[in-house]
Amino acid sequence: MAKPVIKKEYTLTERIYLWEILKGMKLTWGHFWFNFKACWRPGPHTIPTCWQYPEDRTREISPIFRGEHMLQKDDKGREKCIACGMCAKICPAKCITIKKGKRKEGEEDKYAAKTYPASFEIDLLRCIFCGFCQEVCPKEAIVLGQNFELARYTKEECILDKRKLLLNYRKAKEEGKLRPPRKRVPVVPAPPKPEKAEGAEAKESKAAAVGKAKKKPVAKKKAAEKSESVEKVEGGEKKEAVEKEE
Amino acid sequence: MDDWLIAIIKVVCIWVWVLLIAVVMTWVERRGAGLIQDRPGPNRAGPWGLFQPLADGIKLFTKEEIIPTKARKILYILGPLLFSLPAFSAYAVVPFGDKIILGGKEIILQVSDVNIGFLFILAIGSMGVYGVILGGWGSTNKYSILGGLRSTAQMVSYEVPLGLALLAIVFVYGTFSLRDISLAQQGTFLGFLPNWGIFKQPLGFILFIVAAYAEANRVPFDLPEAESEIVSGYHTEYGSMRLGLYLFGEYVNLVTISGVIVALYFGSWHMPYIDLGAYLGPISWGIVSFCIFFLKVSFFLWMFVWVRWTLPRFRYDQVMGLGWRGLIPLALFNIFITALFIQLTV
Amino acid sequence: MNQNPTSQTSYESDNYVTINIGPSHPSMHGTLRIITMTDGETIVKAEPDIGYLHRGVEKLGESLTYHQFIPITDRLNYCSAIPNNVSYEMAVEKLMGVEVPEKAQLIRVIMMELARIADHQVCIGILGVDLGAFTPFFYLIIQREEIYEIFEWFNGARLTNTFGRIGGVDADLPDDFEERWEELKPNVRKANDETEKLLTHNRIWMDRTIGISAFSAEDALNRGFTGPCLRACGVKRDLRIDEPYCMYDKFKFEVPVGKNGDVFDRYIVRMIEMEESLKIIDQAYKLYKEMPSDAPLMARVPKVIKPPAGEVYSALESPNGELGFFVKSNGSANPYRIRIRPPCYMMFQALPELVKGEMVADLIACISSLNIIAGELDR
Repeated sequence: MAKPVIKKEYTLTERIYLWEILKGMKLTWGHFWFNFKACWRPGPHTIPTCWQYPEDRTREISPIFRGEHMLQKDDKGREKCIACGMCAKICPAKCITIKKGKRKEGEEDKYAAKTYPASFEIDLLRCIFCGFCQEVCPKEAIVLGQNFELARYTKEECILDKRKLLLNYRKAKEEGKLRPPRKRVPVVPAPPKPEKAEGAEAKESKAAAVGKAKKKPVAKKKAAEKSESVEKVEGGEKKEAVEKEE
Repeated sequence: MDDWLIAIIKVVCIWVWVLLIAVVMTWVERRGAGLIQDRPGPNRAGPWGLFQPLADGIKLFTKEEIIPTKARKILYILGPLLFSLPAFSAYAVVPFGDKIILGGKEIILQVSDVNIGFLFILAIGSMGVYGVILGGWGSTNKYSILGGLRSTAQMVSYEVPLGLALLAIVFVYGTFSLRDISLAQQGTFLGFLPNWGIFKQPLGFILFIVAAYAEANRVPFDLPEAESEIVSGYHTEYGSMRLGLYLFGEYVNLVTISGVIVALYFGSWHMPYIDLGAYLGPISWGIVSFCIFFLKVSFFLWMFVWVRWTLPRFRYDQVMGLGWRGLIPLALFNIFITALFIQLTV
Repeated sequence: MNQNPTSQTSYESDNYVTINIGPSHPSMHGTLRIITMTDGETIVKAEPDIGYLHRGVEKLGESLTYHQFIPITDRLNYCSAIPNNVSYEMAVEKLMGVEVPEKAQLIRVIMMELARIADHQVCIGILGVDLGAFTPFFYLIIQREEIYEIFEWFNGARLTNTFGRIGGVDADLPDDFEERWEELKPNVRKANDETEKLLTHNRIWMDRTIGISAFSAEDALNRGFTGPCLRACGVKRDLRIDEPYCMYDKFKFEVPVGKNGDVFDRYIVRMIEMEESLKIIDQAYKLYKEMPSDAPLMARVPKVIKPPAGEVYSALESPNGELGFFVKSNGSANPYRIRIRPPCYMMFQALPELVKGEMVADLIACISSLNIIAGELDR
């Protein structure tokens, strides 16, 4: 085993151990003294680098933090979700289960769209908090909130049903911790020809079929039913497209 | 009869006192570590977390005692006892104050002023290694054996520089008794320095403190229990109060070592430049001398913590190298210089 | 074929002790297992045994869509998730022939370099802890926390960022990025300085690291070393310069090179790289600010990604070394095959050579300095 070690020549201060050790001790003393003084400050958050978590919740959590989910309502208090199933489809952990329900007469003040989720379940034991569901949601109905305290006593409690999701929304609204509206990510503008951007040649065959379906107002029922296949549309446009369908 | 009573009271008092310091030390260590590392440390149990050692004690006491199936049972049980017993008894010859006069009776603040003084400490202290090696061997765990072997080699090696450093002290003071050495450190040295051992034996002090750190298995010499390498070394297999005895014995050792350092090198209960004993009454001087001694001891206890959270750990062969190639020649040199000096001055 | 390495090679000997280090051991990063045969404390033979954290990531990719695989890449090297994400995204983009907008590339550079700093901080901190110096770990980890704060305000997650999307990034830099960055920069430098003060010239540290598990440049190249560990051996190879991606050719930075390839050199190389990363972020942010605020962040990619049939290998310089993704597509929405080339896999297999003749304590130092992350080792 050739180990080409070039021994470093130790300087005198390095050689005698103590000098560098004393320098190090000076440094640690500095930290000790600083924190010792900070210890006497009032309040649970004494040492600047350390939050006394359960008591001290002053640490600012990002408004876009990906925590526990919630189902949002619109300004009139109607559920935004249209049960399109996009979130369930995109979810890498497959933790969302949705059953679609049709809005009946007289339920216009409860549900914003003609379809609504009859049941909406998120399995927190499976969820990996990637945030894809909120990103893909056409109505910004499902969002991930700021709650990061996800410990529960039983497995059943870990499954968020619709009631819990709406409750989460109400709690967040009361605390003023709603997620700010999604910022649209600017996309490279389409080339003058309405044809797809480079690299999309492979999908032209499918693009034709779905692209046409979208433009035709007749196809709206069809599109709503198999709304999973609204994929051909570009980021920003897709949202508008689904809105048109209603 | 009176003498017996006084002796027993002294033994009990000092025992409780040393235990108390050791208990508080576990708290100081963890809080100190926290503050050095920009975090508060344990602060939940009681005010400033002061009851943390108590909580730990309750935890250790109430845990199930497990003896590993393949352990050598007698050795396994004997290990912690042999480690903690010498630790508890070594403080007997270390003073903790000057003297106090109660009811016309002069009581020296020391359990026993043995005239072989620190020979007793060396002898008792080196018995602690049996606890470590027996515990390591008895556990029948490879990590434990490695830890035990490391500890044995280290303790045996570092007793030599420790003893040689103390030998130089004997040259200077001409006695083994810690009380006599303490008394001899009153006044000033060369007219402007306090008459402390450290100024007469600066090299000896460095040698002593390094060797003492190694004897106490403290960072940077904590190889026997190097967590990242051999899990927990010799007490890997221990749990409940047996583990508690090991951990506790270590802190008691620290108290003893700090006491010895103060008594030998830092003027014991003497204030620099001022002879408080001349101004105070016999009882108050007894108390004040105890306080001064304790303050000095606390500083060295804090040193152990401070150094621990500053330094990395040695490697096994490097510890041996430092001991045999570095400290022992230096200690011999120190003895030579001291002897020469004494020969010239006397 | 026998899967148990103990029976492949004889570890039974009257003169030597076999010690199983791991899979649960205080200083095994994740769940590694190393079977060592020691003579006293000197290692005669060491054999790594991997697979204790195998989660079938590559196989999982075959049943997920291209997009859904991004969060899975977070879990490879969990100390710095962002380079993993970007590396995978780059591979798919290369397969699709998508050109990522410049602004998105700059954001990627900024985030990747932040992740590099965070990764190196953890690596050095843990190296310190494994060698008994606990305090530098905390000084470094506090600054890493600040970096995670930036990540949190960027897209909502601290550790598993799921950064970027195929074709760009998912969010713009937060408005207060500059403020946070200006605050972070001196703090990172200070923490690094303090670590250097506590360790670099301390003789105990030098004795423990210099000359330990040294590796020659030739051996390292033969073994497939990459990243800081290769550079510590004296080979100036850095994908950021040799095969520039993400506009790295526009930034000026030094590539530190060591001499011995020992633990000390790896430590120093990482230290210097952190400083260089700070410089890169400065330059990238300057360029970023020159861009119009509504400049595109995403290329035009279809919502369901179906790359043309074909295969591609794309790699980038992750904090640990060359992190490559091989993606094979058969034209459907799911990848046909994904193969990940983690940097520490190659380094871990050189472990027997690295630690032969060293002591048990050096084995720990060696593993720490290689920065072996079980998540990406076993995948």
